[in-house]
Formats: sequence, structure tokens, C-alpha cells
Amino acid sequence: MKKLLMILLPLLICGFTFMNGEKIFPYKIHQQKLPNGLNIVTVPFESPGIAALYIVVRAGSRNETEEGVTGFAHFFEHMMFRGTDRYPKEKYDEVLKSIGASANAFTSLEQTVYHMVGNSAKLELMFEIEGDRFQNLHYSEHDFKTEAGAVKGEYTKNISNPSAQLYENIRNTAYDKHTYKHTTMGFFKDIVDMPNQYNYSLKFFDRFYKPEYCTILVTGDITPEQVLKLSEKYFGGWKRGDYSADIPVEPPQNGTRYTHIKNGDVPPVLSLNFKGPAYSDTDPDSPALDLIDNVFFSQVSELYNKLVVNERKVRYVNMGTPFSRDPNLITISASVKKKEDMQYVKDEIMKTLEKAKTAIVDAKKLSDAISNIRYSFAMRNDTPGGIAGMLAYYIVLTGDPESVNRYYELYGKIKPEDLCNTAKKYFNESSLTIGTISADDECPVK
Amino acid sequence: MAAFFTNAFSQEIVELKMPKSDKVVVKLMFRNGSVCDPAGKEGLTRLTVSAVTSGGTKDMSYAQVQEKLYPMAAYYSSSVDKEVSIISFEVHKDFLPQFYEIIKGIMLTPSFAQQDFDRVKSNQQNYVDQVIRSSSDEEYSKMALEDFLFRGTAYRHMVMGTSEGIKAITLEDVKEHYKKYFTKNNLIIGIAGNYTDDFKNTLLSDMKMLPDVNVTVPENGVPEKIDGINVEIISKDAFGSAVFMGFPMNITRSNDEFAALMVANSYLGEHRKSYGVLYDKIRTTRSMNYGDYSYIEWYDNGAANMLPPPGVPRTSNYFSIWIRPVQIGKQLRQQYTELSDVKLGHAHFAIRLALREVDKLIKDGISQKDFDATREFLRSYIKLYVQSPSSRLGYLMDSKFYGRTDYINEMDGLLAKLTKEDVDRAVRKYWQIENLKITIVTDKSEAEELAASLRNNTPSPMSYSNFVKSGLPKEVTDEDEEVANFRLNVKNVSIIKSEDTFK
Repeated sequence: MKKLLMILLPLLICGFTFMNGEKIFPYKIHQQKLPNGLNIVTVPFESPGIAALYIVVRAGSRNETEEGVTGFAHFFEHMMFRGTDRYPKEKYDEVLKSIGASANAFTSLEQTVYHMVGNSAKLELMFEIEGDRFQNLHYSEHDFKTEAGAVKGEYTKNISNPSAQLYENIRNTAYDKHTYKHTTMGFFKDIVDMPNQYNYSLKFFDRFYKPEYCTILVTGDITPEQVLKLSEKYFGGWKRGDYSADIPVEPPQNGTRYTHIKNGDVPPVLSLNFKGPAYSDTDPDSPALDLIDNVFFSQVSELYNKLVVNERKVRYVNMGTPFSRDPNLITISASVKKKEDMQYVKDEIMKTLEKAKTAIVDAKKLSDAISNIRYSFAMRNDTPGGIAGMLAYYIVLTGDPESVNRYYELYGKIKPEDLCNTAKKYFNESSLTIGTISADDECPVK
Repeated sequence: MAAFFTNAFSQEIVELKMPKSDKVVVKLMFRNGSVCDPAGKEGLTRLTVSAVTSGGTKDMSYAQVQEKLYPMAAYYSSSVDKEVSIISFEVHKDFLPQFYEIIKGIMLTPSFAQQDFDRVKSNQQNYVDQVIRSSSDEEYSKMALEDFLFRGTAYRHMVMGTSEGIKAITLEDVKEHYKKYFTKNNLIIGIAGNYTDDFKNTLLSDMKMLPDVNVTVPENGVPEKIDGINVEIISKDAFGSAVFMGFPMNITRSNDEFAALMVANSYLGEHRKSYGVLYDKIRTTRSMNYGDYSYIEWYDNGAANMLPPPGVPRTSNYFSIWIRPVQIGKQLRQQYTELSDVKLGHAHFAIRLALREVDKLIKDGISQKDFDATREFLRSYIKLYVQSPSSRLGYLMDSKFYGRTDYINEMDGLLAKLTKEDVDRAVRKYWQIENLKITIVTDKSEAEELAASLRNNTPSPMSYSNFVKSGLPKEVTDEDEEVANFRLNVKNVSIIKSEDTFK
């Protein structure tokens, strides 16, 4: 550990100078694959007595290709807490409690992530219970059916928010074939039917809970040697699988689509969704979209100052590019004060996008945006869980945490004209899906 | 000039030097909060802080401030609670001098421009009038419970204010409130990270230029004595029944007995953990909802936070139970043919079950085994509250509020000495189930039936789908029978329309 600190110290003292070619992530990433295909990633850094253990399964709702079983990746995340023969649920909870960790899991489009942050002195116990449940999960049909009620409870709490309803509708409208059509929660009819799918759940576990789908990621007060040894001991005997989901390719969209929720009790919402690119750490499109977001839609943009600060017709306007393994939606949304202004706001957003396609962005604006993106990154990574969560994102996208360094390096190579080219490629009305919430009977914008 | 450092909350400083860190965090904690909102202008403290942090300075407009900060990715944020307001600044050490000039301008010479005021006021009004009622039924029921518990006191209204209160606030009110309540005499300054003594001294000396006014924070007021169980059902279009319930409790982190209640509470319903009794019985065993937890102090934004954030210290406290939305009768009838004739959803049963568990803990105490396991858990777990420089600094500042030096370390020491008997004694002293208040946000189709069932103490047998029912062990169905008939001391049940809340 002492030697490690000596290595880390110069990095900490240097801080972030953000020279081209320098890695954005300030700590060394140790990475090794076990013979069974399980990826082991360790990032030691100073966090006395605390370690984060993340297990990243590269299977999420994107992998749900079959009819009638949407939402299963998420449901399965719940089942992973139902115990094994060696550690039945009560015993698992008892051990987890004794570790004193903050432990939970989440599922998204591409991944299911199990995470624990706790006392680094108890790392072996964390490995033991995780290794056991990933290889030997065993639950009764009754437990399976019972857990389905908790999933429905989760849906029930989420759906009280009209924005969650709109998100569900937008995905369903924008996609025809690809599994991004349904949300991670799944279609409600499938959630209600979940208790009937016990056999499918066994199949699901057998397909995706295999070493080649997983990465063990440990950060904080640990050493790579220690993590590798524990991984071999508790996961080394895990047998490789052979399943590969055949994810349907989404055909090109031919024309603007609409989805509307009539609700006059909430502030009007306008959401413009364009089909974007898949994540890449070699192609300029993804970082160029980040920069379009920063230059044209952030709180220092002309549009924000016009609509939010000066005219005050809008409470917020923002752009989001949730990068994914397959082309996902680029979303520009606004909370509009009066529903009568929704068309005007839509027109202003579309005018801004036209500008992004043609106007060459001023060099200072571009360098300010890059500086913002890089310093935002530098400010975020100060806890074991924060670092593990950030790296998990890149592991999900590419299988390799070093992707974060490659991705941030791309920003330095983006030229103003790249922004125009990227905008021209993606911001077209033919691939647009408009979602709205307002008191109107029908979508109030064209 | 008032004497410096004469008052317990007068420009004290909390420092956390971290020379290896890349950033600097500054927190300015003012002892004021929503209890300082004048009657008829509820929401004024929150709006004042928003006008400062979402506005400009005497030299720069809001847009210019944002533009200057942008390349630094530096940010400032604010939080207002019942008894404190905190303005926090975070910056990478590369930019500290430039950023500091902005901090200084914002704090000492805020612009209070009319258009900034109009913008933040409109957003706050919208939150109270629409957002809180429509975005999360569980957060809604939590806010409604505070309103219900603290009627007649300065704690009653939401920090965001009331609908009429916000409407009445003018820009002049905000300017006056800033002068009166954001002063050098009710300020704790916190600094963490990689900073120099010169920086600290400059900050201290500049913050002495805040108004030199003696601040009188109004009394919180004593909540009215609760007679029996009082229920308010908020009726709207909803998919489930979201429940919060509780009663005022005369203990805070200042008191050493708090450690004993931490153990009891963690055992009963540790936040977002699967091993609390409530979670185990309501969610894991009976499949009724997404989770069930208990609290012995305010827990900010529990739906998003896994660990309790600092910055919300309070002198008035209450015990509460959070039951996440359970199924309503209409949904059960639609989803399961075997339940096509049920009249009522699961809220009444869930409330009975939760209160029965509290009652059992009061009567039977915690087992030695559960005491040992829960204490061991907490001694590790509370250290996770302070992982980042910002959260560590925040907890140290909160410690000052409670008359402590380092709450996390002191609690660990108290937990180390604690016995099972201490926990049982504290539970008997502070907890009861006879007199409390309950708020339920539910669907219009459920409200009347639920009200009648609660009012009449009608047995509320659990209506399981066949999926779950067929495999339930006998001890569960036996317990269900007892829960369904568990008598609650209900005295009052009323139904309120959603549009009539937070007026």
C-alpha cells in the first residue's frame, strides 16, 4: 500500500492540466481477464478503510428480445436478492448487515449493476457472498411470484409521475423493432404477467449471469493483487456460457411521430427526440453531440438566455444524449409555462438546431465548453462509489474502462465544423418523435 | 458593531484541510430557515436564497456570472430547511481565486434584479401549486404529514412555502429578509479541501462584511398534542396509496439517547435496506410494495438518497414510517379475476402491520442477537455518511448545530457503550402507537372506502393474488389474521381534495 501511495502522489500533486494526450482519469486502472472470461478491474486510491465492489452485468432491457417478457432484466435484479442454498435470503441479509455496507443494485437499458460500498477490511466476505449468489442463485417459485409484487409496487410508485408516463410513451412511439421500444421497467401488461414466468427466469439467469457478461470492479483502499486473488478464489470456478442475444436493428424512421398525454394539472412539457448514434470512443459524433449540448442548450447558451432568463416563457430547456450500445434518442426537453407557447418554443429549438448545422462555433466558446466538460469530470471523482459508478458506465458501453480516457481525448480533436456535420446527420424531422404533456386533447405542436 | 464570536452561532468556522484534494468546498450555513418566514409570506427564506444564488452581483448579471463560471465547471448550490439555509460553493483548486471573486459578489452585493426575482418566484409558485402534487405521491404524502403534524407552529409549512404565501412576496420583502436573516451574526463558515490560510482569512474577513444585525430566530412552537390516531386522506388521480405516519418526538442528535433510538430504528426500518423488519414483512414476505422504512429525524429526499445527506439539522423532531405506494382496490380488481370483488386496497392492512411491529418492539424489546447485529452494522455504516469532502464538512457543521464536535465519531463512541437495555428503555420512553398522525395520498376511487374502514376499525384482511396466496406459510397467514384485526386508536379521518393542500 505504501508503495502504491508513492506512485499516486505525483498524480495528485500534478492535478489536472488537461494537456492533449494526457489521460483524464487520474488513477491507474488495473485490468485482467480470468480464463473463464470474467473481467477484473481494480482502481486503488486513497480512501482509508473504504472500498467499493461493483459487479457489472452487461445485460439490461436491451437484451429482452422476446415477446411478453419485457422488464425481465430488472425483475431478475430483484431475484438476485432472494438467496442461495448456502446463504438463503435471511442469512444473506444477516451477512450483508454485518458488513455494514451500503449495498444495492440497478438495471438500465444495457446493464444490471450490483454495488456495495463498505469496510475494506471485509472485502473477502463481500466477495464470498457475491461469488455465491452469482453462481448458485436458488429461489422457490413462491419467492419468485412474491417478488413480482415488489416490481409492480416499483412501477406503481414511478408511474405517479407524468414524466415517467411520457418517457414510456416516447420510447414506444419512436421505436418499432429495437428493444429500446420498452423501458427498463417493461410494459405494464408484462409486469402483471411476471408471476407466470418462473421457467423463463431460470433461462434468463442461465443466459446472462455468466462470466463473459460480467466485470468485477473494485475501487478504494485495496490492491490489485488482493482483488485478483479474491476473484480467482470466489469466481474462478464459474463456467462460461454461450448465449448471445440477437438484438433487432431499428429500421430508419420516415417522418415525425407524435405522442401526447392530456393532463392540465402539471406544467406543460415539450420533448423532442431524435435518433442519435451509438456510443463510440473513436468516432467524433458522440463528443460533438456533447459539445452541441454545451454550446447551444446549456445555461450559458443563447437559447437558454432567451427562453428562460429574458422571456421567461420556459422554466428549463436542456438536451440529453444518453449514449448507449445502439442508437438511442437524443432528447431536447422544455418545461413551458403556458401551453399556448409550446409551438413557439418548439420553433425556437428547431431554429437553434438549424444554427448548429450551419454556424461555425467561435473557438473560445468551444474551448470553454471543453474546459467545462473536463473540469466537471475532475470535480466528480472523490469517493470509491463515485469512481466505480463512473467507470461502470464505460464498462457497460464497451467492456473496457479505459474507454473513458479515449473518449475524453476525442474532445481535443473536435473542430467547429465537426459540430455542423454531426448536427446535420442527426437533427432531421424525419427521425423526430415529439412528446407533449398539456391540457389539450391532442398534441399542441406541429 | 456586535462583538465577534460572542454568540454560539456567530461566524464560527469549521475546517477540513485536505492538501491532496483537487477541489475546495465552501459552505455558508445561516441559522434561519423557513421558521423565519413571516406569516402570510411562507416561502420567503427559500425565495430569498434562490434570488441570491440564481441572480447576479452588482457588477455582473446572472448570465454574465454563469458565463464566467462556465469554463471552470465551478458551481454553487443552496439548500433551505426549517432552521438553516446553506449556500455551498465547489471549485477545482486551479480556479479558486477567480471563483472566489464571484462568491464574494454573490454574498455581499447580490443584484436582486427584478427579472431574476420574477423567474425564481414563478418556479417556486409552480412547485407548490403543481409539481409537489403531481410528480411523486410519496414525497407529497411526506410533505403533507409535516403540514399535519406541525399545525399551529412555524414548522408547519413546506420550506417552499404555501400557494398564497408565495404570491404575496415582493422583491422588497426578499431584500429586507436577506439583510435581516443573512448576517455575520448567525453564520457558520465551513471550508474543506485544498486551500491556504490566506484564502481562509480572506473569506473570514469578507464575510464579516455581511450585515451586523442581531438575529432572532422565531420559536418553532410546540406541536399540538395528538388525541388518538388522526388520518388525512388526500384524494387525487393515483395508481396506489402512498402513506406517511408519525408523531413528534422530543429528542435530537444532541441527546446521547439518540444512539439507542438509532439502533431501534435501524432494526425496524433502516432506510432503503432489505433487512429492516418493516421491509421484510411488507415487501419481502407479502409482496405489497417497493419498500417500507422508519425514521427518527428528517431524511431529505429519501427517494433519491441512499445515505442521509447533511445540512438539515433541526431542533423539533418526529418519528415517522414511510410506506411506499401499495395497491388500491381498483387496480387489484382490474389485474386479478380472483380479486374482482375486493372493495379496498392494501393501505389499511399495511398501516396496521407497521404499527403492530412498533408496538411489539415497545412491548417485547429488541433481542440480544438483533441488538448486536444492528449495532455492528451501524458502527460501520455511519462512516459511509462522510465519504466526500463535502459530506464530511457538512456533518461537522451539523455537529455544531447540535452542540457536538464530530457527530459521526461521537455516535460511534456512544454505540460502542450501548446495551440492549438502553435500546429497550429509549423505545419505551419515546415511541408509542396510540397518538399519531397519518397522511395517505390515494386515488379518488379508494378514498371513501379507506376512510370508512379506518374510521370504523373494520377488519382489513389482506387480499393476495392467487400467485402469492398459494405458497404462503401458515405463520404468515396466522399473522395476517392478527394484523387484519389489530385495533388502532383512530379518532379522526378526513378526506381532502388535492387542490386544497398547501394553500
